[in-house]
Amino acid sequence: MPQFFSNKRLIILLASIIVLVAMIGFSMKDRKELSWPEQFLKDTVGVSQSLFYKPANSIAGFFENLSEMKHMYAENKKLKSKLNEYAELSVSVQDLKQKNQSLKGQLEKEADLTEYHVKEATVIGRSPDRWNKFIFVNQGYKDGVKTDMAVVSPQGFIGKVTRVAAFHSTVQLISDNDQNNQISAIIEGDKRIFGTIEGYDSKKQSLLFKKIPVNSTIKKGQMVISSGLGEAFPRGLLIGTVAEVKADETGQTKIAYVKPAADLYDLSHVTILERTMQQLDENEFKAKEEE
Amino acid sequence: MSRILLPFITYIAFVLESTVMQVLAPEHYGWDFLMVPHFAMVLIILMSCYLKPSYGIVYGLIFGLLSDLIYTDLIGVYMFSTALVAYFIAVLSRYLFSNFFVTILLSILGVAGLEFLVYGLNSLIGIADVKMADFFYDRLLPTLILNAVFTIIVYFPFAKLLRKIEG
Repeated sequence: MPQFFSNKRLIILLASIIVLVAMIGFSMKDRKELSWPEQFLKDTVGVSQSLFYKPANSIAGFFENLSEMKHMYAENKKLKSKLNEYAELSVSVQDLKQKNQSLKGQLEKEADLTEYHVKEATVIGRSPDRWNKFIFVNQGYKDGVKTDMAVVSPQGFIGKVTRVAAFHSTVQLISDNDQNNQISAIIEGDKRIFGTIEGYDSKKQSLLFKKIPVNSTIKKGQMVISSGLGEAFPRGLLIGTVAEVKADETGQTKIAYVKPAADLYDLSHVTILERTMQQLDENEFKAKEEE
Repeated sequence: MSRILLPFITYIAFVLESTVMQVLAPEHYGWDFLMVPHFAMVLIILMSCYLKPSYGIVYGLIFGLLSDLIYTDLIGVYMFSTALVAYFIAVLSRYLFSNFFVTILLSILGVAGLEFLVYGLNSLIGIADVKMADFFYDRLLPTLILNAVFTIIVYFPFAKLLRKIEG
């Protein structure tokens, strides 16, 4: 049996375990900003990531298109029938928008939770170990991205910005199992149910909407949207649909399993949203009260 | 020349993990097992087999720290695990013949060690909530197969480079 550790090595190992614990402790603190060496590394790696990701993605996309060609005819037929509905819908949306605007004008309300500015970003990579579910995008604070902004794909909400460097940033997907990864959400229905989405069940591939009162009735297929309360997200982003409702371990509340609307794996272009209405500053609030 | 090439190649392997391999990831095709590429780790294992132990440990520390900073939220998990695995492989390879099959075996062993260490540390912190059996069948076995294939592909050119560096 070979001797793996001499005494000196054993001490080095023990010291490095202490350093490991210290480093994990340091990084588990809720850090809002990256230090400059981290930002520099992030941007450097980001540049090389975009060199590889874009060509690989376009090649894969080409083959995907080839296989999609087969279903084209059936799809086209279906889409044509949808198009008629769309025309009707867009007219009524236009109408509603105008009505909304005029009503808002009467109320003299400047902004509300649903309004936002849009920034387009391209995905340049993804965290390879699936314990952490991060994607990397090519927009940083030079482009006006800040932490905690909401990120959506064309199908729906996918996550929030957690780390920002000068030209690149990291997006934490909703499926990440971090304890701080909570999103306040609403289950739409006759009676709205407010709550938070915390955690992800990887076996069922659905998000967990926890702490629902027992007496509330939730059906399969109800929409879940972001509530815009508490965070810097706009209101009304589609998160997913309810797939299953269960009583939780204590029996006091219920858990809803929410199937994400967006495909969290097939992401190439995402949109970063900045809510127009900022969270009320405490000073501002006081100033308003004094007026 | 080959000395400069070494960090460069390892860096490319490191970037491939998060880009090209993510485009080809099995989740895209609806399969529910995970194939986690540890290409930089495989190259570091080969280094510790053929070069001085210090090479593997230093590269392990650097690239472990890099993946901590960029791919994860916690600093230290990969840095510690990668360097520890590199050290163990360096010690083991001194007692074994360095031929093709032994190296493949060592690389599989090293990647499995890394996966277990990271799984253990992450479940300690609470990021990993997967049961042992699920971890083993859905994640570990496909991961080992992927990385073994990668080792077989890079073995001959990379071992040639390492012999050149050794002098």
